Amino acid sequence: MSALDRLPSGRGDRALLAGVACLLVGGLFALTPLQADLPSALYVFVEVGITFVIYGMLVLGLDLQYGHTGLVNFGHVVFFAVGAYATAMLAAQDSFSGIALGYPWPLALLVGVIAAALLGVVVSATSIRLRDDFLAIVTLATAEIFHSIFVNFEGTFGGNVGILGVPRPIAALVGDADTRLIATLLVLGGFTLITLAVVTRLTDAPYGRVLRAIRADELVTRSVGKSTITYKTQAFVYGAALAGFAGGLFALYNGAVAPGFFTIQVTVTVWIGMLLGGAANHRAVLAGLAIIMGLRLVSRFGLSVTPVSGDVFAAFRLLVVGLILVAVIRYRPAGIWGDPQELGVDQ
Amino acid sequence: MGLLQEAIFGVVTGSYIAIAAIGFTLIYGIVNMINFAYGEYLTLGAFVGFFAANALPGPLPVAVVAAMLGGGVISIALARGFFTPINHTGPVPMLLTSIGLGIAVRNAIRLFGGRSARYIDTETATFRFDAVPEVPIGSVDLLGGFFLTSEHLTVVGSAVAVFLVVHLLLTRTDVGIAMRAMGDDESLARVRGIDTQLIRDSVWVLAGVLAGLAGVLMAIQTNVSSTTGYSHILQILSAAILGGAGSPYGAIIGAYVIGLALAISTAFLPSSMTGLSSAVAFAILIAVLLVKPSGIAGTEVREA
Repeated sequence: MSALDRLPSGRGDRALLAGVACLLVGGLFALTPLQADLPSALYVFVEVGITFVIYGMLVLGLDLQYGHTGLVNFGHVVFFAVGAYATAMLAAQDSFSGIALGYPWPLALLVGVIAAALLGVVVSATSIRLRDDFLAIVTLATAEIFHSIFVNFEGTFGGNVGILGVPRPIAALVGDADTRLIATLLVLGGFTLITLAVVTRLTDAPYGRVLRAIRADELVTRSVGKSTITYKTQAFVYGAALAGFAGGLFALYNGAVAPGFFTIQVTVTVWIGMLLGGAANHRAVLAGLAIIMGLRLVSRFGLSVTPVSGDVFAAFRLLVVGLILVAVIRYRPAGIWGDPQELGVDQ
Repeated sequence: MGLLQEAIFGVVTGSYIAIAAIGFTLIYGIVNMINFAYGEYLTLGAFVGFFAANALPGPLPVAVVAAMLGGGVISIALARGFFTPINHTGPVPMLLTSIGLGIAVRNAIRLFGGRSARYIDTETATFRFDAVPEVPIGSVDLLGGFFLTSEHLTVVGSAVAVFLVVHLLLTRTDVGIAMRAMGDDESLARVRGIDTQLIRDSVWVLAGVLAGLAGVLMAIQTNVSSTTGYSHILQILSAAILGGAGSPYGAIIGAYVIGLALAISTAFLPSSMTGLSSAVAFAILIAVLLVKPSGIAGTEVREA
């Protein structure tokens, strides 16, 4: 029996293996004097790649909520933001604005996840019974409320400046910029792959079948004795906690949080990524997100070769992004790799 | 500034939100979608009004009429291009489409119009009432001197005129009665021989005309920029849901509640936190959905 035969065959297990491998290699870069050499042309790819793996956790959580359970959460960024702010406020040292408590960062990350999950509990306890489109509006309004709270309570959240001086565990271990970028990408990418493994395991289990049944027909699911509200609340809270985890990691990677990182743009990006790839298929939503983030790369390169201002280019990119969302819903409602039959849409 | 003055501002804000919220809630009730791109209709109307005011020699009302016509044409064109083809897919794809369309239109406006704010020149008469006694309670003055401008009166007057016209339209004309019938039950309306697509189109035109009017009134009050409408969409939405989604009369009440709540919260919040007043509108919205999700007029928005 060769070593290959002993490798796990399930998709989730393979993702777990790949994730652990990424973490180990990333840890190797971070903990040993091993150095990576990155050509400067690739910097932008690695930076967008880091954003991609962080947003990847967001899209996996959102897919659990919308793709599997049918919960239309259009304020996903608020859980990301709450996780990031909670982590930053607990872990930051000597920020000149807002609260900085200076606790160890693992504790802060844990609190970030719990804070986002608690907000998820509150939102779902109050709104999970609303009709789909009204749930979308409530979550969107929640995100807007938190955004204006972060901007306006300068004493607590640092206003538009945000909170600085958040510890950066990987940057603290690695001095060299190239190695730091590679190690960050590997460690965060490892977490995303492990997340992929966990959600795949969850949705392959009978539990995931109940979630998809709720999406297909809630009344029928209830009539066979499943407490649909409990399942919906759980799916919502899992997604929120995952977004909080992504937010905490973002704060620890970025070293600062500010309201500008947590606009409705984040929600729109992950939604388009999910719909483009095909909801209810974990790898498809990640691929869809990669396409949208790739567009961001294209526009970065385009900006350097065309003689227009950055503002014009940003407007043009958003114009295209909006039209992609419209076109996907109209012409490929199941996304590129989605299953139209399972999603109940006609192609 | 006294609370009375803030209340006047609140009524003015409530008036243009009410005009827009009627259009928004009619779309919700009859096309059965939350149109998140509706704010962009206001912006486009405001731009049409701005260019008409500069290009046409006539007085300001000409620009207002141009904005209303422009709003109606834009609304039906966008509906025909984007919403009518996916009418059968249900509320969520339509909401998502409107979000995408809103982003696209907003940035198209930014692309062609730039980010700077434009102003419509108007001659404003100000009426001051300084003789009113002050009634201070704590740091807040309950009465106090106040002023009114001719713009305030124009906005409130237009709103009252719109309420009357919409009321007469919905109760006295065939097309209005057909709209209400469709809002109640689309299949029954079709069985009774109502051309549902024609009615849907007329709702789009009516909502666009109202959006154009609200947009140009906002432009006269403040300025025209690519975010004129978008910055008000959540208030319009809150007003419509507060009033009971689909009910124009509820939307009017909802709009004034939102307008007054915004203005009065400005009076009570410390000056460094005036940005929070927009959050107040959403807090009201969430509170309404928790306590009485059917809104003032009583339309059910919960499942099962």
